[in-house]
Amino acid sequence: MAQHDAPGAGFEEGFVDADDFRIRYMVSGDGAPLVHLHGAGGLRLTPAHDLLSHRFRVIAFEMPGFGQSAENTRTRTMPELAGTMARATEKLGIETFNLLGTSFGGTTALWLALEAPARIRATVLEAPAAIRPEGSEPPSGSPEEMARRLYGHPERLGTIPVADPAIQAKQRALVSRLRGPDRDAGLERRLSELQTPTLVLFGTLDAVIPPAMGRIYQQLIPGAHLVFVYDAGHAISTERPEAFTDVVADFFERRDAFVIRRTPTLIHP
Amino acid sequence: MKISFFETARYRSPEPLPSAWPAPSGFYDRGAGARAYRDMIQRLQLVEELGFDWVSVSEHHYSPRILTPSPILAAAHIAAHLKKITIALLGPMVPHNNPVQLAEELAMLDTFTEGRLVVGLLRGTTNEYLTYDLNPLEARERTDEGMEVILKAWTEPHPFGWQGRYFQYRTVSIWPRPLQEPHPPTYALGVSREACEFAARHRIGCGVSFAPFEIVGKSTRYYREQCARYGWQPTPDHIVYRANMLIADTDEEAHAMLRRQPDRAPFVLREGVRDAFMTLDSRNVAGEARAPLRSGPLPTTFIGSPDTIVEQIRRCREAVGAGVLDLSLWPAGADDDDALMRSLELFGTKVLPRVRDI
Repeated sequence: MAQHDAPGAGFEEGFVDADDFRIRYMVSGDGAPLVHLHGAGGLRLTPAHDLLSHRFRVIAFEMPGFGQSAENTRTRTMPELAGTMARATEKLGIETFNLLGTSFGGTTALWLALEAPARIRATVLEAPAAIRPEGSEPPSGSPEEMARRLYGHPERLGTIPVADPAIQAKQRALVSRLRGPDRDAGLERRLSELQTPTLVLFGTLDAVIPPAMGRIYQQLIPGAHLVFVYDAGHAISTERPEAFTDVVADFFERRDAFVIRRTPTLIHP
Repeated sequence: MKISFFETARYRSPEPLPSAWPAPSGFYDRGAGARAYRDMIQRLQLVEELGFDWVSVSEHHYSPRILTPSPILAAAHIAAHLKKITIALLGPMVPHNNPVQLAEELAMLDTFTEGRLVVGLLRGTTNEYLTYDLNPLEARERTDEGMEVILKAWTEPHPFGWQGRYFQYRTVSIWPRPLQEPHPPTYALGVSREACEFAARHRIGCGVSFAPFEIVGKSTRYYREQCARYGWQPTPDHIVYRANMLIADTDEEAHAMLRRQPDRAPFVLREGVRDAFMTLDSRNVAGEARAPLRSGPLPTTFIGSPDTIVEQIRRCREAVGAGVLDLSLWPAGADDDDALMRSLELFGTKVLPRVRDI
């Protein structure tokens, strides 16, 4: 990978129609398909997308209502959004896939896995927002305040792009409509149905969703794995892309067997 | 004020030993080693009787100076013989050990001792990097990450994985867990900015050692400032200060004892190694740079008659804020055991009862 390229430079843009939405996506790589559903801030390609695209065909969607897409006033619930994304993948000819959901998109991913279990090979939830402490608020405020909530070490990241206020306002309205209650009894009841191998990741410095929420996913999803990514905040893949990619790719490739160490430790033959 | 006795398992060599570190294993006398551990238990029985609150052990390798390369084994042995005293591991070295194994063994110890365990987590003296082949440039970060693994292993109720920088585990789920909830009183040891910040962020104690009051006071002040930043206030029990003490019937005798101490660094490294460490290892006191290795002996911060010492402890409480003093009552490695026993009795009978209220 050319280190000097902007993250996602190797990705190509595409569009697919589903439920009368024109949905943008970025795609790169060969191999088993990996579908990524972004967080409440919209789609932003990171070095982790580049690293994952060396091992998978990464399709990173921009969900309807985010980014440059038209305002989405039609989707009423998270399961509905998940249904739209399931149909978008179908339209792209992707039958089965690895599913990665980030924060808000982690909730979408859970609903997608519940609605289309046969199509999901494995699910990774990056700092998922489906289960939150009572009264928790999504990050907001000035770019500096946002950065302090999202990252464990904002000072290490250089300039953080400032989102367009109009886009932010549009996204915020959609997110607050779809994010669901802090504890969604309906969703939590159904999590015991999940048969797909699931990995939950939390950064040890997450200031948006406490990493202790990881325990609840473990209790509710049969066989779910929980991995803490040390020294990362909420945006794990931005802060520690190598560590993130290593565990995510390993899980998608080996699922439950990812717990078995394969990295050689031999020093000299 | 709580008082702790720093136990070094005093090895008395039947022949003169080279002063360099590491000491050649071939000089080790097996009988003398066995005697050192037997005497240790006898001495600690007296320490317990005298009413000391804690006995502390620490991790040092490749030298007779402190004969507890595994402080956890030493503590388990002590725990089997003593019934009341709190055992403080100050501390196991984090960067060159497996932190999950440390979490497990410390949990076992806490259970063996029925909750009489205190844990200090330590980066270690610079010479110890050679022991298990640790890169000095990685020591600080490995310590911080390892400490976090230990705290997590003690407190997470379900199996978890750890995707770290220096440590990686896919399955951690320790048994037993510590007896004390959520875990034994724990200290991040060291005067550095990083150790103080870690302790403040994780709401654990801070342990400082050997430097004079004004230097360790800088660190404990910094620690308290950081705790305030994280929204809490430590108690005096959150601060442990390990220091050398020479006590005698009179001030003059105590100072005469000091003059008889060998005038050399605790760990003497060959010059090339020492010089390399000076550039490869970096240390600080609350952010101010300091040399990673000492060129002379460790300072003796408490010295004098019982009256003088009581006064010095009072001053220490004000300057350092420590609620626990961990005392080296006779220099580690010095082989006059009778002098140590006299100091112990003198301190236990003439000072200990008078410092409880400080």
